Amino acid sequence: MSKVKTGVLLVLGLIWLAPIYLLLVNASKSIDGYDAKTVWKPGGFSLFTNFGDAWNKAALGETLVATTMYSVIAPVLAVLIGAAVGYAIVVLRLKHGFLWFVFIFGGTIFPLQMVLMPLFTGYADTGLYDTRVGMIIVYTAISVPFSAFVMRNFFTGIARSVFEAAIVDGGGLFRIFRSIYLPMAGSALAAIFILQATFIWNDLLLGLTLSQSDSVRPIMPALTGLQSTYGGAALPTVLAGGLLVSLPTVILFLAAQRFFSRGLALGQF
Amino acid sequence: MRNRAADRTGARLAPVFGLPAAAVVAVLLYIPFLWTTYISFTNYDGLASPVWAGLANYKAMFSDPDLTGALLNTLLWVVGLVTLPVALGLLVAVLTYGHKWGTWLRLPFLLPYAISGVAVGVIWGFVLQPDGALGQVLGFFGLPGAHAGWLQAGPGNTLMMIVAVTWQAAGVNALLFVVGLQSIPGEPLEAARLDGAEGFSLFRYHLWPQLRPITTVVIGLSIVASLKTFDVVWVMTQGGPGTSSETLALSMYKETFVLNDYGQGAAIALFLSVVTFAASILYLRYQLGDSREQG
Repeated sequence: MSKVKTGVLLVLGLIWLAPIYLLLVNASKSIDGYDAKTVWKPGGFSLFTNFGDAWNKAALGETLVATTMYSVIAPVLAVLIGAAVGYAIVVLRLKHGFLWFVFIFGGTIFPLQMVLMPLFTGYADTGLYDTRVGMIIVYTAISVPFSAFVMRNFFTGIARSVFEAAIVDGGGLFRIFRSIYLPMAGSALAAIFILQATFIWNDLLLGLTLSQSDSVRPIMPALTGLQSTYGGAALPTVLAGGLLVSLPTVILFLAAQRFFSRGLALGQF
Repeated sequence: MRNRAADRTGARLAPVFGLPAAAVVAVLLYIPFLWTTYISFTNYDGLASPVWAGLANYKAMFSDPDLTGALLNTLLWVVGLVTLPVALGLLVAVLTYGHKWGTWLRLPFLLPYAISGVAVGVIWGFVLQPDGALGQVLGFFGLPGAHAGWLQAGPGNTLMMIVAVTWQAAGVNALLFVVGLQSIPGEPLEAARLDGAEGFSLFRYHLWPQLRPITTVVIGLSIVASLKTFDVVWVMTQGGPGTSSETLALSMYKETFVLNDYGQGAAIALFLSVVTFAASILYLRYQLGDSREQG
């Protein structure tokens, strides 16, 4: 029985790895050496040349800088804002706290499609369209509800006496938040950060809608641009681009697997 | 006495800590939500003022052949994603759970999950190109379809994209099912084993009933994800050829930002929201229930 199990898993696993194999092999072929008839055969190693090509043709350098900014700054802001509201509701016992919570967490229920058009027109009117600040604001906003959800749950698990003792010691509310509650929440903050950073890194729809120029556009819309412009002509370049933009999330995922499963179980978007 | 002092200090400043979250959510999510809802009942091109149109946009959604096509494709996505990746995820979870090398044997399935929808689209667009990798494998084994244009006609193109997303999503479902399996108490299972239950009957009568809560979560997440399907389709076919592989999420984008029919786009968005909301209730009920028990 156990052998059958292992056998089934190995066969399925190999099928699952096949597209990754094809990606690696063909992203490594030189553009001249690529032949649609021999995609299964390895041949040559021009991976870094192809990386360079993708980098230049899709202006990946600039978009990489922008996307990294979005994927770091927005989740940091969201984590702080979420922690603050969690602190207000659970620790400070905000009046009607549960209503506040429902209102904020309610932000996750409608699909992005529901806010795209008003954001587009609103951004155009306020001069936020196609700006890095605008992208950071919108990515922060969509990350806040989930962050508030996790932080509220996390703070619920901390004994009230911690807060009472801190008050007796004469700490101000901001100081108690900054130097007691935030440090205690380290692992929860990290989990939210990783999940939201990945989500932002992989976003296509908001980037497509709210940005245009190379210096603002996130990396996924840039990759789709590369594909439609250089499609059939230079498949190794496109594949190398796909591989390049996937590396950060794959590495992050492998390093922080348990955060992902936990976050998913919490109902990520 | 301490308690009261702490409560009083806390209550005074509490709104200051709560306000940023509420403000950001209100301005960037709720107000746009209300605006889209209003626009869905109007004709609006983004320039002239919106003109009240009642249910016209909704009627169009269910009578315009392009949009009903997108509706059917979206339904196909829902059915596809609540069956294929869920069944495969369950299979992988049950086979790897308790296996000596379980963690390693699960890894091939988890890897695609870490890849973005856009990159998945790029990879599978490549695999499925005419006479591409898949065609060559089929040809090698003498199977039909070696020269098929996988993405060139509906509903085949939608089915192949469902396969691509199955490749991406099965691993996460496996991970969630493993979490579910871990929560099943071991002793009744041992007793069942001693009574001679094994293989499929052990699964059918002892594991499967206990997996019900996590199955609800997995199916709920799958429905929500399938309704929002956008990036893989955008990369692989852009909804084409024609509109043969459009999903509602993609039609919404096209109506609004390509055809400037903001009202129609808004109606599609609202319809999607209502369905997503209904699906979310399915699994949110379980999750909020869980967190209350823990907290």
